[in-house]
Amino acid sequence: MRSLWVACLIGLAACKPVESSKKFTVAMMPKNKGNPYFISCKKGAEEAARELGVEFIWDGPTDTDPAKQNEVVEAWITRGVDAIAVSVENKDGIATVLKKAKAKGIKVITWDADTQAEARDFFINQATAQGIGYSLMDNAARVMGGEGEFAIITASVTAANQNEWIQHVKARLAEKYPNIKLVADPFPSDDKQDVAFSRAQEILKVYPKVKLIMAVCSPGVPGAAEAVKQSERKDVKVMGLALPNACKKYIHDGVVDCIILWNTMDLGYLTVQASVAKIKSGDTSMPAGKLKTVEIRGSEIMLGAPFVFNKDNVDNFDF
Amino acid sequence: MLASLSIDSRPRHEAVLAGLLVAEIAVFALIGRNFLTAGNGWEVVRVSVEIGLLAIALTPVIVSGGIDLSVGSMMGLSAVALGMMSRQMPIGLAAVVTLGIGAAGGAVNALLVARLKIPPLIVTLGTYSLFRGLAEGLTGGVENFTNFPESFLYLGQGYLLGAIPAQLPIFLAAIAGYWILLHRTTHGRAIVAIGFSPEGAKYAGIPVEKRLGLVYVLAGAVSSLAAIIYVAHLGQAKADAGTSYELMAITAVVLGGTSIFGGRGTIHGTVLGLFAIAVLQNGMRLADLPSELAGILAGVLLVISILVSRRRSA
Repeated sequence: MRSLWVACLIGLAACKPVESSKKFTVAMMPKNKGNPYFISCKKGAEEAARELGVEFIWDGPTDTDPAKQNEVVEAWITRGVDAIAVSVENKDGIATVLKKAKAKGIKVITWDADTQAEARDFFINQATAQGIGYSLMDNAARVMGGEGEFAIITASVTAANQNEWIQHVKARLAEKYPNIKLVADPFPSDDKQDVAFSRAQEILKVYPKVKLIMAVCSPGVPGAAEAVKQSERKDVKVMGLALPNACKKYIHDGVVDCIILWNTMDLGYLTVQASVAKIKSGDTSMPAGKLKTVEIRGSEIMLGAPFVFNKDNVDNFDF
Repeated sequence: MLASLSIDSRPRHEAVLAGLLVAEIAVFALIGRNFLTAGNGWEVVRVSVEIGLLAIALTPVIVSGGIDLSVGSMMGLSAVALGMMSRQMPIGLAAVVTLGIGAAGGAVNALLVARLKIPPLIVTLGTYSLFRGLAEGLTGGVENFTNFPESFLYLGQGYLLGAIPAQLPIFLAAIAGYWILLHRTTHGRAIVAIGFSPEGAKYAGIPVEKRLGLVYVLAGAVSSLAAIIYVAHLGQAKADAGTSYELMAITAVVLGGTSIFGGRGTIHGTVLGLFAIAVLQNGMRLADLPSELAGILAGVLLVISILVSRRRSA
């Protein structure tokens, strides 16, 4: 009985109609499928796929096995897709299989996190350190009304990313805002919310004239916000680099003025746009649907200025 | 008694599994794109080798009534060791030393399980943390060794005769070696007997300690072999190599009809179990179905195949 069933299936397989779908297919992979950050990127990617009328595949690891991304790309090569876009977990580990995809004539894009430059055609750069630093300082100045004192909470004094952002914050400060003063060197919080909470309490005590606390690591903003909220000081605001969900209630409370990050939906949107666009090395810009014209620097496609999440738009994001 | 000792006493399970595998292939040939191609067949083989080696090595361990949870962690430790040594010595020598490290790690398990009679679940749960911890400690968890010589990467990425994955001969040799060991030698008979009844085996004059020890030492060495292929395959050696591979390997073994209580199981069953899972994962991707569905279906497959073979053998 079973063998009969199997025989039927084999028979069916034999007369499988030849697939004639000529639709352009974009296969896009996050680092981790379960992460709300990437789910938010997917929303934008799907929107672009709908606009462009392309077939869209979204798949990636659900666990931490570092070999999984390679397996998925390998399967996509076999399946036959036109473009592969990967948020890379293992810079070197995935390079070989991406090169193989390129050799087969598949367009290879990386987004969110890059691989070796020769293993892909373009990288979608979501934000430059300068863009983040300048946006942080400009928004800080707006909140402070162009004058007064502020303090910075960072992850640790050796954190490379944070230090680079702070450097650009300071550069912008020196260049444009003579009436604003940074009270002390950045306060390290070990990238922990409870430590940021205590640091913010200390800042409020030691520097009573501080009008704004800027946190440049994502647990820092809600940590500092809780301290300010509990102090009941209405004249002190918090802002910084953080994820929307952790800060929503403080933004609606008015403790956090705004947070700076890139627009994850636009990142997904641009990734699919770039996957489909006919771009080649040497181009300096590309049209990208609702994002209008987007700059290309070398082999990096720039998402543009960071996005400011405030009480008007933060509820549109869920990550 | 003699008949029940025979490892082929319930041959139907493999047949059931082979049927399931054929059904899977038929379904995916229907709904997957480019599934039924030689190229894809070889890719399925390639991605199955690392977990396959672990599964093959785990089969006699489980047949003996034991378990080895440390094989995935040993892959991590071996990968890191290989990466570090590749900076100091020729890669071939580093690979040989790595195999030695695997055997040594396996010997630790063997000593604790066979000599000191500590339950294997507890021993290997300990070494599961120990080996992974060592790998992370040696590299701070972040150091990633790359830039291996092309000739070494060929082992994991290359093709023989333009189509066959370069690691396949090694895998076939391991399968053949283990098949002979378990099904054609007195060692294999002894392992089955120990799985049925360790006490009985002892009174029958079987050197239980030695026979048990061997399968754990071998499991360690084969884990290192899997790690070497894994590093050549990915082109990187990091402490997270082989994370959670032990569970996938155990799934393949159990799906292949090996009794988790020991005394029953075959190498060919394990190979079928392995490919039943690998084909499922590959086919889901080519059919554009979400890969988490593969986990669910693998579970369903496991339950069905065991239910069916239970009914047949009852």
